[in-house]
Amino acid sequence: MSMGGRRVFVSGVGGELGTLIASLLEDEPWVGELSGIDADPPRRRLHRTAFHRLHPDEHDQIVETITKFNPHVLVHVGVWEPDARAAPHAAALLTDQAATSIIGAAAECPALENVIVRSGIEIYGRARGSLTRPSESAPIRPTSEWGHTVAGIEHTAARVGERVGVSVGAVRLAPVLGPHVPSPLGRLLRMPAVPFSVLADPPFAVIEDRDAARAIVAAARERLSEPVNVVASGAITALQAARRGRRVPIPLVGPEWRVARTISHLFGAPIPDHVSEVFHRGRLADNSRMQELLGIIPETTTTDVVDRLYDWPTVIRQPARIQVA
Amino acid sequence: MSSSLGRVINFPARRGTELATDAMSRATSGINATATRLTAEHMGTVDDWGRDPRLVQVITTLSHFRWSVAVGGEEHLKRRKGALIVVNARRFALAPIFSALAISEAVDRPVRFVGRPDTAPIGSLSRRIGGLLDHPDEVAGALSAGELVVMGAEHDPRLREAGIVDHAHVGAAMLASVPVFPAATSSNPMGRDARVEIGPATRPGRKRRGPLAELELADRVRADIQLLLDEMGELRTGTPLDWLPITAIGGS
Repeated sequence: MSMGGRRVFVSGVGGELGTLIASLLEDEPWVGELSGIDADPPRRRLHRTAFHRLHPDEHDQIVETITKFNPHVLVHVGVWEPDARAAPHAAALLTDQAATSIIGAAAECPALENVIVRSGIEIYGRARGSLTRPSESAPIRPTSEWGHTVAGIEHTAARVGERVGVSVGAVRLAPVLGPHVPSPLGRLLRMPAVPFSVLADPPFAVIEDRDAARAIVAAARERLSEPVNVVASGAITALQAARRGRRVPIPLVGPEWRVARTISHLFGAPIPDHVSEVFHRGRLADNSRMQELLGIIPETTTTDVVDRLYDWPTVIRQPARIQVA
Repeated sequence: MSSSLGRVINFPARRGTELATDAMSRATSGINATATRLTAEHMGTVDDWGRDPRLVQVITTLSHFRWSVAVGGEEHLKRRKGALIVVNARRFALAPIFSALAISEAVDRPVRFVGRPDTAPIGSLSRRIGGLLDHPDEVAGALSAGELVVMGAEHDPRLREAGIVDHAHVGAAMLASVPVFPAATSSNPMGRDARVEIGPATRPGRKRRGPLAELELADRVRADIQLLLDEMGELRTGTPLDWLPITAIGGS
């Protein structure tokens, strides 16, 4: 079947990852029309993408926009990581609203063939005895709010896909880091002092935003119909990351974590439960099926992503030359 | 006559000096080999499974003060492919750990062992030196990734007897299409000398379509380990303890 001229709809196109995905999709030869929605405008200029600014609770407009576009492929990246751009409760609410209305609307489109949802390796959970590097076939046992959220997205998409008979692929991303990506983990690691669990200091892996976007585009191109872990190779611990970034490592044992969380929150880097889990239990996943399912492998290793995290310049605020307010 | 008697009388002292020099040189050469080999690995990070090469270097160096392990049969292992190595294990002997460290030195690549707890700080430390959870999926994942994994058979209270081999882990190796190697270990609770003898890969018997294949292979691995243990012979400590009517003190 010819893939040319496919209509692709990207939800969450205003976020850093969504914008990156849309810009990569614009260069794909198989993509015909491209459209997207988000509550915020895209972070960079998109040449071919038609953008619709809609809030997740505007169900009617969302349904109308999507059904009118009648996409062949839906790329759903409209998810809110807790404490990335919204507080945990608001993030869960927005993500749920977006998943229900966008995936539900796409289900009404007769041309729909494939749904790709952005998920996370937090879906496996880090309960005691859970696998060090879970593969895609590992049981889904989320132990954090974010893990439950992405499990909910996958569940919704799978249910809709089953009902309307379209294939659904889930791209389970490791924590995404990038120069402009709002990430609670990235923020915490960039603090002048980085707490770490002195008793555990477990390893974790991340993925750079560009590799994550390439993986999602590849999933849409390959018409992924199953979950795939997208994780950069290698791993690092919080202490090692702090050392590489020349930050002051703060060894913590247990009860001090509560104080550390509060202080970190006050300094602008809240520690949601899924990030806290990374520092206590680690977060790795088996990425061996990426090549087979997506035909790509991450270009940047975990260590390089963390090194780049410390190389990215900080935000320099320049006051206006003429104060108008 | 007196001169020969003198030589006989002096012999234990010379022998002691030689032994000390020999032990020192063996320990030093082991440490040097460790330092040389691991410089090629990335320091300051951990690998995909959380193994820390720097810590492994330190632990391996320290382990030379406890164990002087002679590894045999490492030529059976492929240079780049994954394999499951099943060793006989005695309670508290840490056979999978010293075997993994010794084989890692011998074959010049990371070797992991099965049986880390999932509780800090012991579990975390074990993971840093290559420990994997005692779970077939965990073992299957490592083997599929081309890793060398050492697992211990169950403890058998009889000395020099190989215990039951967990067929679930053997099944994981079959699933990952990697060979299973039997290995006999011998160590001494009072001495440094230890030995790891890896046998040729155990071949499955009849072709089975179901889970019987892994059960039969696990039994064959156990029998092969037993054979290797028998071939090792009795362990001698070189002390009057050998005169006691107990066989293979500290062995298996």
